Amino acid sequence: MSQTEEPDEEAVEEPDPADPAGVVDYDALEALLGDAVVRRERHLNAEAFVVRADRVQDALSTLRTEAGFDHLSNVTAQEYHDRFESIYHLKKYDDPTQEVSVVVPTSRDNPVSESAEPVFRTADWHEREAYDLVGIDYDDHPDLRRILLPETWQGHPLGRDYNQDKPQIVEFEENVNPLADDHRESDTMLVNIGPHHPATHGVLHLETVLDGETVLDVEPDIGYLHRCEEQMAQSGTYRHQIMPYPDRWDYGSAGILNEWAYARVAEDLNDIEVPEYAQVVRTMSAELCRIAAHLLALGTFCLDIYGDFTAIFMYAMRDREVVQNILEDLTGQRMMFNYLRLGGVVWDLPEPREEFFATVREFLDDLPNRVDEYHDLITENELFQLRTVGTGEIDAETAKQYGVTGPVARASGIDYDLRRDDPYGYYENLDWDVITDDGGDNYSRLLVRMREVEQSARIIQQCVDLLEEWPEDEREIQANVPRTLNPEPDAEVYRAVEGAKGELGIYIRSDGTDKPARFKIRSPCFSNLQALPEMSRGEYIPDLVATLGSLDIILGEVDR
Amino acid sequence: MATTPVAVAEWLGYATPPLWLQVVLAAVVSGVVVTVMLTTSALAGPWAKRKITAMFTDRIAINRNGPAGIFTIAADSVRLMSKELIVPDGADRPAFDVAPAILPLSALLGFAVIPMGSGLQLADPEIGLAYVFAVSSIASVGMVVGGYASGNKYSLLGSMRSVAESIAYEIPLVITAASVVLLAGSLRLSDIVAAQQGTLVSLGPIAIPAWYGFLNPFALALFLVASLAEVGRNPFDIGEAPTEIVGGYITEYSSIYFVLFFLGEFLHIFLSAAVLTTLFLGGPAGPGPAWLGIVWFGVKIWAVFLFTQWCRAAVPRVRIDQMLEIGWKGLLVLSFANLVLTAIIVGVIA
Repeated sequence: MSQTEEPDEEAVEEPDPADPAGVVDYDALEALLGDAVVRRERHLNAEAFVVRADRVQDALSTLRTEAGFDHLSNVTAQEYHDRFESIYHLKKYDDPTQEVSVVVPTSRDNPVSESAEPVFRTADWHEREAYDLVGIDYDDHPDLRRILLPETWQGHPLGRDYNQDKPQIVEFEENVNPLADDHRESDTMLVNIGPHHPATHGVLHLETVLDGETVLDVEPDIGYLHRCEEQMAQSGTYRHQIMPYPDRWDYGSAGILNEWAYARVAEDLNDIEVPEYAQVVRTMSAELCRIAAHLLALGTFCLDIYGDFTAIFMYAMRDREVVQNILEDLTGQRMMFNYLRLGGVVWDLPEPREEFFATVREFLDDLPNRVDEYHDLITENELFQLRTVGTGEIDAETAKQYGVTGPVARASGIDYDLRRDDPYGYYENLDWDVITDDGGDNYSRLLVRMREVEQSARIIQQCVDLLEEWPEDEREIQANVPRTLNPEPDAEVYRAVEGAKGELGIYIRSDGTDKPARFKIRSPCFSNLQALPEMSRGEYIPDLVATLGSLDIILGEVDR
Repeated sequence: MATTPVAVAEWLGYATPPLWLQVVLAAVVSGVVVTVMLTTSALAGPWAKRKITAMFTDRIAINRNGPAGIFTIAADSVRLMSKELIVPDGADRPAFDVAPAILPLSALLGFAVIPMGSGLQLADPEIGLAYVFAVSSIASVGMVVGGYASGNKYSLLGSMRSVAESIAYEIPLVITAASVVLLAGSLRLSDIVAAQQGTLVSLGPIAIPAWYGFLNPFALALFLVASLAEVGRNPFDIGEAPTEIVGGYITEYSSIYFVLFFLGEFLHIFLSAAVLTTLFLGGPAGPGPAWLGIVWFGVKIWAVFLFTQWCRAAVPRVRIDQMLEIGWKGLLVLSFANLVLTAIIVGVIA
């Protein structure tokens, strides 16, 4: 909502009879925050407190310690005609339906806002991105540099004054040799791992300081694959032009999971109800994607440990190929599926349906044998255990500090899965388990992914059963959605789904037109990667490489 | 048994061949042997490696050029040799150029004393076994020089790893070989082969030969593990470790220099397979007439090569600290235990 509007008392959320525990008492929170709060706004997902720019740390630490909002899911920055705004989207790891947003407006002349980094470590990178792309300065931030764009970039591309046509000319003096500062005086050695390195799974650059073989410090340098995804989404119409982009974020076969993130947020924004049949189809296809993505993660992780394109990598690829073929049958594409539509899916299951179901069932029936084979080859291998057990450890508290989600968080014992905790689609009605493990090491992360594959198979099994029985005249694949969608002006919403790598969230602010005014992507890989130094310091280079593999990052999603 | 040059001289009618003839014949014979070794191991090796690994990993691998892609060998040779040789600016020039030659050279020198059967053996010195270990250890020098001269941090890390690995595993390797020397009572390789000619036990129609691998399988296992580390193959391929340090000491090498390193590595695998065959698998011994020896010898070293490829496809790589731990705390102790036990048994029986 615009700032000029008075807070609407009636807008306070009515208790949901189905889940009374999931209600946040915003009045109590406002009292708790005291005079830090300037006013209240209402976003579609939660209430937002507008907080003074010099009281951010106060407000956030109060919310964190006294109200239990221990998950800084995302930080959105944007520029209005009269001000800059940072929005901190807070949740609880115990119950992500309890949300609150902290909105920090700053003037355009002097966009300085207090950093949230001392309260939430994860704010470090998020605020660097806000500085980089929008141009807000964060006071008290430990290391406010550009993160996605090169150091020499001029201007902030998501700001209103940014001239996109002006060429970026880098003066020679600015383009100094980063190695001019020689490190040979000391006992340590700086090694640049990447951006072209066999272990970085894409274009990632790890600045690593070594003492012998021991990693003293590592700093991920990202942005090599930055493709202005947010800006591209902002220049597309809600109805059709945005949906193809999510496929290109996490391109490790997780396309439909990403599409669902956009579908969920856009459907909430536009009040679209998805027919039940379409939800079942979505659930099934999304879980197929999850299996494919996890198999890829398993294969590449083992590639890092084994050191070559060895048996286990090829076996994982072989099984992923089966899923890939099923998805191709379903969507017509191998990777860039573009299968979901607002209000449903683009088309029904392929005909003849029996054949499709038979293929899926054949895969599901065969899967337990495959999983056993993986356990034989990998998890029960002593050498493998030697390498992975107890390396790359991160405990639950640290992981929460970094906003870690997905299999990485669950392997550290954080029982957090949006499919169950913030239900969407058809997951509520199905019988499956959230997998957790207490190890917090590379081994646990692998185990969690392998077990999640089995759970996804359970979900698919139930979906196939349902779809087979579905009466032919009730197979509604799409709700009735207007050709052009113009959401309420100044409506703001942040919604997340459980992607393959964790919590994939999208924030949209509408300005009443058919295109979003701000489209912010919360990438799980971005947050998970930020925890890498925490996990790798003091370990050996091979462990650093293994840990990076176990985080299962896709650079397309990190850099967006 | 006479060495090949001497045997050829005798066949030519010289009872005691003059020195010049011995030198000429040795040059000719070694030329033949080197060519054969090069073509089988360094050319067929990579082809076989690709096919074998593909079988392990559920793929088809090369199959376009000729039957089973066999002509890819020729295509590969042309390709590798016609690539541009890139020498980094910071490279230490003479050292950078010398290093690639050291690796294959040391392996080829090692082959000189290996009895390959069918009368093929270039030299048979009294200290044959010590000579093989001595010359094959020179390979480490090539790795260090190459890694250091490249002026690349990954190369440096790789060469340091390789040296640490060589030192840690050379000792168990030699100590285990020493237990064989105790059994055979000689360092001369032809004597060691000759000592394995008998039959260990006869189980009905099957006669198990008196190979030291059957007599002392424990020593064979130790030797096999130590050789894997010595030639840097999984689980001990940390010297190159592509996913960690890009290519280790060969990171900066390209074109023909790369080929030399590559060739040297394959030759070393085959050399260590040949030493293992000589010490534990009866050398060229096998059923059929004696001239089949070279065939049996080939079968055995290829079996060992197959084993290294199997490990590569199925076993994870250990970390540097774990590798040193396995070497110094595990293999070294076990190899000494093996040596002492063998000494006691040999002393009591003989």
